[in-house]
Parts: sequence; structure tokens; C-alpha cells
Amino acid sequence: MTVQLEDVTVHFGRTCALEGFDLSVAARETVALLGPSGSGKSTALKAVAGFVRPTRGRIRLGGNDVTDLPPARRGIGVVVQQYALFPHLRVADNVAFGLRAARKPKAEVTRRVGEMLEMVGMASYGRRFPRELSGGQQQRVAIARALAIQPSVLLLDEPLAALDAQLRADMLGELQKLRREVPEIAIVYVTHDQSEALALADRIAVMRDARLVDIAPAAELYAAPPSAFTASFLGGANLLPVAMDEGGVTVAGAVIPGLKPEEGKSLLCIRPHAIRLEPPAAASAAAAGGEGVLGSEALGGAGALGGAELGGAELGSEALGGAAMGGAGARGAVEDAVEDAVRLVGRVVAAQWRGASSQVTCLVDGLAEVSVRVDVPAGRRVPEFGAGVVMVLPVEACSLVPAGVG
Amino acid sequence: MLVWTRSGKAIVWTAFAVVFGLLVLLPFLVVIAAAFAGSWNGVLPSDLTGEHLRQALSGDELASLSVSLQTAFMGGLLAVLFGTWGAMAAHGSRFARAADAMHHLPIAVPSVVVGLGLLVAFSRQPVLLNGTKWIVVIAHLVLMVAFSYGTVAAALQRVDPSYADVAASLGASPARVLWRVRLPMLLPAISSAAGLSVALSMGEVGATIMVYPASWRTLPVSIFALTDRGQTFVAAAEAVVLLATTVVLVLILDRLRGRAAER
Repeated sequence: MTVQLEDVTVHFGRTCALEGFDLSVAARETVALLGPSGSGKSTALKAVAGFVRPTRGRIRLGGNDVTDLPPARRGIGVVVQQYALFPHLRVADNVAFGLRAARKPKAEVTRRVGEMLEMVGMASYGRRFPRELSGGQQQRVAIARALAIQPSVLLLDEPLAALDAQLRADMLGELQKLRREVPEIAIVYVTHDQSEALALADRIAVMRDARLVDIAPAAELYAAPPSAFTASFLGGANLLPVAMDEGGVTVAGAVIPGLKPEEGKSLLCIRPHAIRLEPPAAASAAAAGGEGVLGSEALGGAGALGGAELGGAELGSEALGGAAMGGAGARGAVEDAVEDAVRLVGRVVAAQWRGASSQVTCLVDGLAEVSVRVDVPAGRRVPEFGAGVVMVLPVEACSLVPAGVG
Repeated sequence: MLVWTRSGKAIVWTAFAVVFGLLVLLPFLVVIAAAFAGSWNGVLPSDLTGEHLRQALSGDELASLSVSLQTAFMGGLLAVLFGTWGAMAAHGSRFARAADAMHHLPIAVPSVVVGLGLLVAFSRQPVLLNGTKWIVVIAHLVLMVAFSYGTVAAALQRVDPSYADVAASLGASPARVLWRVRLPMLLPAISSAAGLSVALSMGEVGATIMVYPASWRTLPVSIFALTDRGQTFVAAAEAVVLLATTVVLVLILDRLRGRAAER
């Protein structure tokens, strides 16, 4: 293990910034520390860098205990949020700073600075001052400066937070490219942005209130979140309270077919993009097929909304049934009957258009205070505010998570 | 802008011009006019002469100018040194508030009291400074250190501590971080503190008049003494010399600061 934190605890006066934090990062691995602000992720990074001294616990680098070593003797590359490029030094001198501190021969300094600036695509900017660079360029220089000392560990503290959205997407690509160029080093990446963590990290450590909540490979964490907090923070999953009996798991009175009850897991987790919306008319057809339990309101609402009104092409092929549709309707109802899904009746309380998709927030009848967010892809019809809808939750996208704090 | 109408603006500007002219500009002009006046019996001075200025730039009076410059440089630069040191040492420590209060004490205390205090403290063994130039330099140092400290401390508040952190993580020793990162980044504040200290030191009277020995008389004290003896025109000429010297000094220091701030 290149980086190892054992039971690291950091107190600032009375406030506890990090509590009993364990983490190990192997060479060639990228671990993202993900969490809201104040979750201790930056503190963990600062403890590794040596900027803060842990009150308890040990930090090891490549097997050596560095807990009591000053940052200068750890040999870790650090990129901080605002980059902290020395404003009085030119770009090349910024990159050379660490090499000169190590008293490397002049020729080697020049060569290495050239290599580093070449790698981040800033070779022609060596004579500039940091203030003459854009945010993205400053970030590249900061990375070049950190990597110039050939560290075995690179720490990145919210490296994209200071950039605007378009640039952030570009730099995310740059960081992926960089990862391939320096494969041998271990990277710890602190972020509050789940998409950055998912894009870059091999493993994600989710943090909250100065503690580690979950740590697992990114895909695993996303597919089967071990805790409610991780489920909602990573990908904004919907969490619905479920009831369990010997027969199975029910949500708002509807049985979830095929889902086994698990001890201590009382929340149903489902991602917004996995849920499909149907007009109540379609639901009534499905109900006739003998699946799910429906409130009477849905049946009543069917007439008001009109199934045909929601007849988008995609909807028609998979879900819309009933005589009102005609044509594909009959076939849809048959398919629907074999699909394992749970249907919840509710109404739309908010809708946000997001370009490529719309996020619709619905309330479920019978589940007070629980709102369900649904991503409706562009091209599909977004139900109007206040309209009655049926949420179709495919069982393969459902998982159970324990309630309460991580 | 609070005033929008054309006539309103005119009134405001006129009021400003009258107040500024009467309170700031006029005394200057009178001093300059008096410096060149042979006599001043009517509304305007008459018998214009360069004699006073020549007098102000010769003998004892020229020595006063030299004394003032030396005091300002020694006192002012020592004040910058101690002020910067104090501000950097106090920054971020739990004694910062106490250090703030201690450093600002000389501003709160009247300068005459500071002078008296030094006189009482250093007129006897083991540290006998009374009668030497050092007691004047120390008085200036004590008075100016507050301004240096304040300027540098304010700049430190604005400097992100992560610069020093990053420099250290790149392998720089604490001394290297200090000399290559922290001090260069504070240079604009330090040179502005130097300008302020030297300018204030050039004009200091209150404490100096309590402690100065006959051999170390600064220009403002000379001006005060001449005025006291009724030699107003020579005093005015010396005042012009003092003014010119201070302006030139501040301009030079400002130029240096401009270079440092170029980033």
C-alpha cells in the first residue's frame, strides 16, 4: 500500500474534523474522497500531506510512518483548490520550485520543467506569470508543479471546483489522460461532485460528518449502495420506506415482486433514471393484468388525463395499454404483464427541465413526506404540474438499503 | 453616486473645493510663500528672496536635515523589520490578539508620553541612552512599529496559507518557504509599510522633542525651535525643505512598491 491511514483523527480545538479515519490507497490506484462540505475529506487530504497534524492515528507512505514528518520530507504532490501558484514566479519557475528546493542540477531542472510543461500542454507558457493564465491553464501548471518532484502520491483537493461547467468537463478528460500518463502513482482525489468521482476513481470513499461512511469500487457503490447516505449522495437515489412481512417487501402497499426482505434494510433505493412514468390509463390496463395494487384515485384520474395524450413513441411500445390507445396498445399490455415492476400512484409536484432530460418530482399516494424524483429523457412527454401519474419501478433497478445515518 | 443632478454636482464640487482649498491647500501655499518672502506686511508677501532657503540648507539647519533622514531610515526600517517580524510571528497564533493590542499601544498613547517614558527609562544605568542619538531612533522605532505591524498584518490576512503549505509539500525547508514564497508575496505590504514609516518619521515632533539631545536635532524640531524664536520665514523655508524631501522619499519608495506589486 502506498498510502495508509490508520484511525486518523483530527481535532481543531473542540471541533472534530476527522474521526477514526482508515484508508489505504495502492500504487496505480485512484481513490476519490467524496462528501458534502464539512465532511472531513479535505482534512483527511491535509493530514496525508502533513498540513495538519493528527491528534491520533498513524499515516504511512510506502510502509514508512510519516505521521511526525513535516510536509517537506514526505515527497507528496499536492494540488490545492485555488492552485496556489506563486504569483511572483513565472510558470517555469513555479514548476521548477520543488526541483530547486531539492538542489537538483540546473540542466536537470530545465529538462524536467520542459517535460512537465510538455505533458500538460503548457510548453509555450513558461515565461508567463500565473495571473496571465486562465483557470484551466493554472490548474495544469499546478499539476505539472506537483508532478515535477516525481511523487509516489498525488493529492488533488477539489481541482475542478474553481472552473466553470464547460471547462470542468474538458479538464475531467485531461485528468483521465493524465492518469494514463502517470500510471504508477497513487492518486487521492477530494471532491464533492459525484460525477467527478465516478469518472475518475477506481474506488470511492464516501464521507459524512468527519467520518468515513462507505468505501468500495465505484461501480459497486453505485449499483448497490451500502447505506442510505451513499445512495442519495452518489447519484441522488430515491429512498422509499418499505414494509416487510413473510410474503415479501411492500412499498406504499404494493408488493415488490421478487425482492427478498433483508434484515435491517428498510429503504428501497432506486435511481431517478430507472423510473418510468406512465399515465394513469396505462396503469389501469396493467392493473387489469393482475399486477400491483392501485389506489382508486388513479382509476378515477384516467379519464381526466386521457391515456392518448401521453402517447409518445417510446411509451407506446413498452407501457401504454388500454383501448384508448389502439394499435400497439394491446401488445404493450401483454409485455407489461410479464415485466417485473412495481407501480406507484402519485401526482407531479415539480418538474425541472435540464436539457437532455427533465427531472420530475412526484408524491406517492400513501407515502406522506416522501417525494420521488424521476428523470424523463428528452423526447418523452413531461406530465404537467399536479397531474396524476403512475411511477413504474423495474425490480432489477431496486435495491434495499439500511435506514438511518450511514 | 449619491448626487445625480448637474446643479447638485456643481454644488458638491464647489463645497469640496472650498473646504479642501482652505484647510489643506492654503496653509501649504502660505508656507511656501513665506519661505520666499523678505517681508510680509500686506495681503501678499513682498521682497521675494532665496536667502531663507539658502539659510535652511546651510550649517546647523542642513545638519538637521541629515539627522532627520538618518533617523527616518534607521527608525523606519527597524520598525519595518520588527513590525513584519511581529506580524508574521503573531499571525495564526493564539497570541494574535494580544500582539495586536501591544503593537498598537504606541498609537493609542500620546507621543509625548512615549517620549517621556523613554526619557525616564533610559536616563539611568544600566541602559543609559539619554543624550545619544539612539534614544531618538528608539522613539521613532516605537512609534512607527505600530504602522508597519498593522500594514503587514492586514496583508497577511489576505494571503491564503495554502501557498506556504504547497511550497513545503514541494520539499522547501521553512527558511526557503519564508524567503522564496512568504516574504516575496508580502513585499508590496512591506514596502508600503516602509514608505509610511519613513514619511511619518520625517514629520515626528511629539516624542522627539522630549528626548532629543543637542547633537541630534531633527528637522521638525528645528522648525519648531525657529518658529518659537520668531524666525518664521526661515522656519517656513525649512518646512519647504522637509516637505520636498518627504515627497521625494515617498515617491521613491512608492516606485519600489510599484515594482513589487507588479504581479
